[in-house]
Amino acid sequence: MQQEAMVRGELRGKKTVQFRQGSALRQLWETNLEVFQRDKLALLGLFIFAFFTLVAVFAPLIAPNDPLTPLKDANGDWIKDVVPYWMAVPGEDEAEGYVNTFHLGTTNIGRDIFSQLIYGSRAALLVGFSAAIAVAVIGTVVGLLAGYYGGWIDTLLMRAADVAFGIPFIPFIIVISAFFDPSIWNVVVAMAVLLWRDSSRVIRSQVLVIKEQAFVSAAKVSGASELRIIFVYIAPSILPLSFLYGTLAIAWAILTEASVSFLGFSDPDTISWGYMLQDAFNSLALSREAFYWIVPPGLCIMLTVMAGFFIGRGYEEVLFPRLRRM
Amino acid sequence: MTILSIRNLKVDYATQDGVVQAVDGVSLDVAEGQHLGLIGESGCGKTTLLKAIVQVLPRNGRIVAGEINFKGTDLLQLSRTDMRQLRWREIATIPQASMDSLNPVQRVGKQLTKLLSVRGGHDKRAAKRRAVDLFDLVGLDSDRLSHYPHEFSGGMKQRAVIAMALALEPSLLIADEPVTALDVIVQHQILEVLRRLEEELNLTVMLITHDISVVAQVCDSVAVMYAGRIVEQADAGPFFASPAHPYSLGLQQAFPNLARPRDQLVSIEGYPPDLREPPTGCRFAERCPFVLDACHSDDPQLQLVGADRYAACLRSSEMDALRLQAEDPALWQQVEVVQATAGPQETWGDSASRAQDGSAEWAGQPGAYADAVATGSDSGADDILLELRDVSKRFKVGGGLAGLLRGDKEQTVYAVNNISFSLRRGESLGLAGESGCGKSTTGKLLVKLLDASDGEIDFDGVDLTALDGENLLGFRRRAQLMFQNPFEALNPRFTLYRSLTEPLIIHGWTDENERLERVVETLDRVNLRPAEVFLDKYPHQLSGGQLQRVVLARALVLQPDFLVADEPVSMLDVSVRAGILNTTRRLARELGLATVYISHDLSLLQYTCDRIAIMYLGEIVEIGPSQQIISNPQHPYTQALIAAVPVPDPTIENPPLRIREGVPRPTEQFIGCPFSQRCPEVMEACLSVRPPQVSDDEGHITQCHLYGEHSASPKLKDSNGTRA
Repeated sequence: MQQEAMVRGELRGKKTVQFRQGSALRQLWETNLEVFQRDKLALLGLFIFAFFTLVAVFAPLIAPNDPLTPLKDANGDWIKDVVPYWMAVPGEDEAEGYVNTFHLGTTNIGRDIFSQLIYGSRAALLVGFSAAIAVAVIGTVVGLLAGYYGGWIDTLLMRAADVAFGIPFIPFIIVISAFFDPSIWNVVVAMAVLLWRDSSRVIRSQVLVIKEQAFVSAAKVSGASELRIIFVYIAPSILPLSFLYGTLAIAWAILTEASVSFLGFSDPDTISWGYMLQDAFNSLALSREAFYWIVPPGLCIMLTVMAGFFIGRGYEEVLFPRLRRM
Repeated sequence: MTILSIRNLKVDYATQDGVVQAVDGVSLDVAEGQHLGLIGESGCGKTTLLKAIVQVLPRNGRIVAGEINFKGTDLLQLSRTDMRQLRWREIATIPQASMDSLNPVQRVGKQLTKLLSVRGGHDKRAAKRRAVDLFDLVGLDSDRLSHYPHEFSGGMKQRAVIAMALALEPSLLIADEPVTALDVIVQHQILEVLRRLEEELNLTVMLITHDISVVAQVCDSVAVMYAGRIVEQADAGPFFASPAHPYSLGLQQAFPNLARPRDQLVSIEGYPPDLREPPTGCRFAERCPFVLDACHSDDPQLQLVGADRYAACLRSSEMDALRLQAEDPALWQQVEVVQATAGPQETWGDSASRAQDGSAEWAGQPGAYADAVATGSDSGADDILLELRDVSKRFKVGGGLAGLLRGDKEQTVYAVNNISFSLRRGESLGLAGESGCGKSTTGKLLVKLLDASDGEIDFDGVDLTALDGENLLGFRRRAQLMFQNPFEALNPRFTLYRSLTEPLIIHGWTDENERLERVVETLDRVNLRPAEVFLDKYPHQLSGGQLQRVVLARALVLQPDFLVADEPVSMLDVSVRAGILNTTRRLARELGLATVYISHDLSLLQYTCDRIAIMYLGEIVEIGPSQQIISNPQHPYTQALIAAVPVPDPTIENPPLRIREGVPRPTEQFIGCPFSQRCPEVMEACLSVRPPQVSDDEGHITQCHLYGEHSASPKLKDSNGTRA
C-alpha cells in the first residue's frame, strides 16, 4: 500500500512530468500511520494486540501442557491445587512424586493454569476480531446505505437500529446461549446482531454530511455513477470511523465474552479467560488466596480491553481533533 | 478631541510554525464623533487590532509593544477588573457573526434587561423602559422583547445586537463586519440604522470591514490596513476621490460599481506576505504594479502626504500620475504571482501573451467545441441552447414515518414557480434575488442535480427529465456547475490531478497521457501556472482564490457548452474576486460558453452578464438586458434591490428603500402577485389577479400590474409605504 502509483506523461511531446498520483487508499494509510505516530498509547495498544496474536498463533508451542487434561503424578493421583514453583516449598514436589514446573500452578482438578492462560488468548482474539469485523462491516454498510439513499431505505434501517437499541445486551446473549449449544460464537453472533447499531448511526450521520458537500455534487454533475460516488467519494472518508468502531468492538467483545463465561454460559470445552475466572470462582480459589489463578486471566482481559480503547482513543483524536482540548 | 489613540502597537501570535506578527507598529487616532472605517483583506490584522483594544486576544496572542490610550488612560496598564468595567460601558464591540451570540434559550428582552440591571445599575422598571427605548432606537417593535432569538430574522438579530451594544451608552462602538453575510436589503437597513445612530447619538464608531462600499456609506474617514500595518489614512471624501496608496487604488478598482460600470475589474494578484518573516522593504512590493527596486529594501513609513492624509508609499509624491496608470487593468495583470504554498514562487511576466496562445490552440481543436466557438454569440435568436417552459419545483418537508407518528403535517415548499426563459449559445444570464428566492434551486434544475416537478427544460432540443443512461452522460459532459465554497468543492482526499482527471475517467478517456495533457492545459487556461506544480497538491495546500480556479478548471476540463456558476466569488477575498470573475468571463467568451451566474450581488452580475433575471419567491419578476435592468428597472422589487446596493462612492447617495426586509416562506401559492405583501405600490388587483408579463422590443419583460391593464387599480398604500 505504501507503493504509490506515479503518473508520468509527456506534455506536448516536449516536457516530461512525473508526480505522485495520490489516492484515497494512500490517504487512509496515512491516517492510520498518523494515529500511531501521534499517540504512543495507541502504539502500545497495537503492541499488546500483536503480542497476544503471536501467543494465540503459537499457543501449542508455548503451552507446556494440554489446558483441558487433568495432570497425574507418578502414583496416578491428580496434581491438583499446586502452587507455582516459585512459591513452592523446595522438595515438596519430589515427595509427592511429580516435578513442579508450573509457572502459575494447577487448578483444583489438576489442570495447568499457565497453559490455560495461553490457550485463552485464542478465544479472546477469535471473539474480539470476528465481532469487530462483523460490527464494522455491518455498521458501515448499513450506515452508507441509509445515509446515501435516504427515504424508505433509511427509515427501514434506522427503525431496525432503534429496535436493536431497545434490546439489552447481556440478557440477549444468555437467551441465545439457551437456544444454541454453548459456544464462544454466541457472543460473536450476538454482537453482530446488536452492536452495528452504534457504528451505523454515527457513520450514517457522517455520510449525510459528506453527501451534501459540493465535491459530491460536482462528481454527480460530471456524470459519476451512484456506485462510484459511494465507493470513490464517500466510503474513503468514513473508513477511519469504521476502524474506530472496530477497535472499540474488539474490547467490548472480549469483555462481553468474559462476562458471559463468568456467568456460566460458555462452552466448557473451550478455554477462555472468562471461563478461567468462573472456574476459579466456583472452586473457591479466592478463599484459598490462589491469586496466581485469578490475577493472570483478569490482567490479560484488562490488557486487551485497554489496548482496544487506547487504539480507539488514538483514532478519535485524529478524527475529532476538537476533543483533544477538552 | 481624540478619544482613542493607539501608538506603535505590536501584537504577536505564537503558533506551531513560529511567531506571527499580526499587528506590527500600528498608530491610529480616533476623534470624538468620528466614524472611522478600517478596511483590508482577511488576515491583515483588522480583527486582531480590535481584540487588542478591548484586550480579548486569544491565549496565544500577546501585545508586545505600544500603548492604547483611551480618554487619557493607557488601557495596557489597567488591571483586569478595571478593564472589565470599561468594556461595554465605555467601549462596546459588535464582534463578527454576532447575530449568533444571542442566547438561544432566553428571551431577547430578558437578555437586554439583565445587562441593564447587572452592568447598568438600572432597577427593574427602568431597565424595562430603557429596553423599549433601545429597541425603538434600532427600529424594532417593542413587542419583540418577549421573543426568543430563533423567532428573529437575521436582520432583526443584528438590530438586537446593536441595541445591546448601545445599552450602556458607550463612548466608542467597534463593529466588526456588521453587515457581512446579510442580504442586500437587510444590509441596507442595518447600515441605515448605523447612520442614524451616528447622527442622533453622536457616537464614535470604528467599523471594520472588507467591503469599501460599506465604508463609503457610513464612515467619514478611512484607514487601510495591509499585512499588519496601516498603509493609508484619510478622510472619506479625498480617499474615494484619489487614493494615495497603490493598495487602496487596487481595492477601489477591484469593486464592481453599479453607478459607474467598468469594462474590466482590477485584480490584485498574489497574496499578502508571510507575517512570520515579514519582508524588509515595503510589504505590498510583491503585488504592487508600481514597484521600484528601492521598495524591496526601504520600508516606507506612514507620512503626511496632503491635508490631513497619510500614506506609506515611497512613490507617494508621484501618486497623481500613478493613479491614471492604475486605471488600466492590464497593468495589474503583469504582477501575476503564482504561489503554491509548498511550491516555488515564480513570476510570469509574459502571462498575458501565453493565455492568448493557449486559446488559439484550444479553439483549433476538432469537435463540437470548435463549432460552438465558431457559431458563437453573434448568431441569431434561433440558436437557443437552453429553454425553460413553465418550470416548477416543489419540495415536501416534514412528513415521513417519524413525522406521521409525531403528528407533523407535511408541508409543500414552492421553491420555483412557472419560470420560463431561454439562453442562447455563448450568452450569459444572471439570476439575482434575496436568499430564499429560488435562484440556487433553479441552478440545480439547469444541471439536473434536481428534476423539475412540472414544466420542461430543453437543452439543445432535448427535455432534461427524459434523459437517462448514455444520453444523460452526454448531457453531463456538456453542462457543468461551479460552486460557491471552493473549500468544499474539491474532495479533500484527492490530489488536484485526481480531482481534475475524474471527469475525464468517467467520460471514458482511457489514455493517461491524453488526460494529463488536457488537465495541464486546463489549469494553464485558468491561470494556474506553471500547471505542473499544482498536480500533486491537496486542496488544503492552496488559498481560496487558487482553489476557486481549480474548481473552474474542473468545470471546464470536459469542455462543456454550458456552465452554471452559483455565487462563484462570495466566499473569496475582494482582492482575488476580480481575478476569478475576469478569468471566468474571458474563458466563457473565448470558448463560446453559455453561462448562468447566480448571485445576490447585482453589481457583480452587471459586470459579468448580458442579461439579468430578478427572482422573487420562485418567480422571475423581471428579465432583460443587464444595462436596462440596472439603469431602468421596472418592477418595484428590482427597484428596491438596486436601491439597496451600496455604492463605493460617498458622493452618491442611495435613494431611500421603500420595502422592509423579510422574504416570506414559500409554503403557499399566490393567487395574485407574490410580491404584493411587501410591494410599496401594491394595488387591489395585485391581491387577486396574476400579474401579466409586459415586454418591450428589446426583450425586457416585467411581470407586474403597474404596466398592464390593471394599472389604474386603486392603491393600497400611500407614498410612504404605509397601508392606506
